[in-house]
Amino acid sequence: MSDRQPVLETKNLTKCFPADGGKTLTACDNISIQFFRGETVAIVGESGCGKSTFARTILKLHDPTSGEIYLNGKDITKLKGEASRLERQNIQMVFQDPARAFNPKMRIRDIICEPLLNFGRISAKEKDAVAKEYLKMVELPESFSDRYPHSMSGGQRQRVGIARALTLNPDVIVLDEATSALDVSVQKSILTLVVKLQKEKGIAIVFICHDFSLVAQFAHRAAVMYLGNIVELLPGENLVVGGAAHPYTKSLIESIFDLNMDFTQEIKTIPGEIPSPIDLPPGCPFADRCSVCQDICRKEKPKLKTVAPGHQCACHLVKEVSSMQNAS
Amino acid sequence: MLEFKDVTIQYGQNVIVRKFNMKVESGEIVSIVGESGSGKTTVIRAALGLLPGDGRVSAGDILLNGQSVLSNSREEWLKLRGDKMAMIFQDSGAMINPIKKIGDQYVEYIQVHDKMDKQAAYNRAVEMLSNMRLPDPDRVMNSYAFELSGGMKQRVGIAMAMTFNPELLLADEPTSALDVTTQAQIVRQMMEINKKYHQSIICVTHNLGLAAYMSDQIIVMRNGFIVESGDRDAILNHPQNLYTKNLLSAVPTMGGERYV
Repeated sequence: MSDRQPVLETKNLTKCFPADGGKTLTACDNISIQFFRGETVAIVGESGCGKSTFARTILKLHDPTSGEIYLNGKDITKLKGEASRLERQNIQMVFQDPARAFNPKMRIRDIICEPLLNFGRISAKEKDAVAKEYLKMVELPESFSDRYPHSMSGGQRQRVGIARALTLNPDVIVLDEATSALDVSVQKSILTLVVKLQKEKGIAIVFICHDFSLVAQFAHRAAVMYLGNIVELLPGENLVVGGAAHPYTKSLIESIFDLNMDFTQEIKTIPGEIPSPIDLPPGCPFADRCSVCQDICRKEKPKLKTVAPGHQCACHLVKEVSSMQNAS
Repeated sequence: MLEFKDVTIQYGQNVIVRKFNMKVESGEIVSIVGESGSGKTTVIRAALGLLPGDGRVSAGDILLNGQSVLSNSREEWLKLRGDKMAMIFQDSGAMINPIKKIGDQYVEYIQVHDKMDKQAAYNRAVEMLSNMRLPDPDRVMNSYAFELSGGMKQRVGIAMAMTFNPELLLADEPTSALDVTTQAQIVRQMMEINKKYHQSIICVTHNLGLAAYMSDQIIVMRNGFIVESGDRDAILNHPQNLYTKNLLSAVPTMGGERYV
């Protein structure tokens, strides 16, 4: 992996929010991760694990508390104003609910072309032709360019969202739960389209998702988050029973109702609920709910270490495999 | 115990469900699965006499223990709901009054259905909440809805629905707003309840894996029609209908085909 240049990289990225009573809510804690061209990396986890905050922070919709974000090797963390605006062309986002992400009074043509007009890449005269080109790219009829968002289905709207994100030819697209509101058949057709476009254009995709089964099918790598920490970073095909190393990931996988599960066994679950991310105690964030928790887990926070090629895990009880490619 | 006979449901002139047939035996768990707009929620709303707006059953009959419920008066429905049948909603948080403590509305709910003094009703509520494995039920009783997590609110909703040990439990996407671990906890509890009290459960869900895990009978709906029904093995391993096959192949699975 070391011979490839990451298109997007975060180093020790931390985002804290102030909470009541002078406390601190740490939504993202020391996140270091690399994203490569043509690769989909899923950020998965349960609600409140910090995956959306991470997405918003790399887009600089939030200012990080500490740490850096590198886009094509350039530190964009501190960029402000016009410089930040220009840099944003390279990283685009598709939102969960396109019905709310679009201006309801704009026609599809204007929605798709707005980013291009903002950056002066096309003139208003070219709008019609450009919109049609992108509609074709996302497999929608060209006649849709005259429509308003409300006269389209959820799946069609999400395709427009993808078209709009593609217009600026970004290096990175962030899909924030972009398909979770859709029916499974629509979801599948949209993600197949995304995969196709990714192959053609070599885009890096950050796939924020809570559905492990979906990630198992559509992501090259998955970063599992718990209480603001990446607890495991593993290849997508490892998201099966027996494929994960971290106790949290393992239990999560076993608690999913999957068509391939063993229906004769009682479904497993993790007792209790995710604790509040405010003022976390030292030690492993999962310690309180972990069935194999030891003394050391409550004292010292485990770091990500390589357990197999392309597979990292932050757990004291999982043995490290020495590896040349283990970066810092 | 519950039977739908050729039921057609329409809102105004819009026919939503056509010729729907279903038989639910005592103690049986039936799941209705389908994509959005398939009419699955409309079916269970009809069973509870809760069709919104101008919705009505325009043909066919719904029988509860052999008796038609369609011509029930408001009072008769009130007797049935809560005692004989109860509903678990997708978002119990939206069902709970936000400006009243859980305890106050739970006690009120019990007293509407049963002549019980306040203290007895309170004790019954606490007992139900602890049956649902809610830690510290007294604290829950003293909380407002916003102070509870989604999973806790859902448990309160299930506890309330279970209070009078209804023969039939109708659940509309009871876990789809929840995280997977919480979902597994709730499903386990619903199945424990089913084993212990032999209630019938009708569960509407879009999660085929969950339906397959829970149910004795799965009904697949599309555009208001039943396209296929049968037990888990029939639906998962030997689907006959093309739509069922397509639906199954679109469901994401771990260890399934990889697209990247």
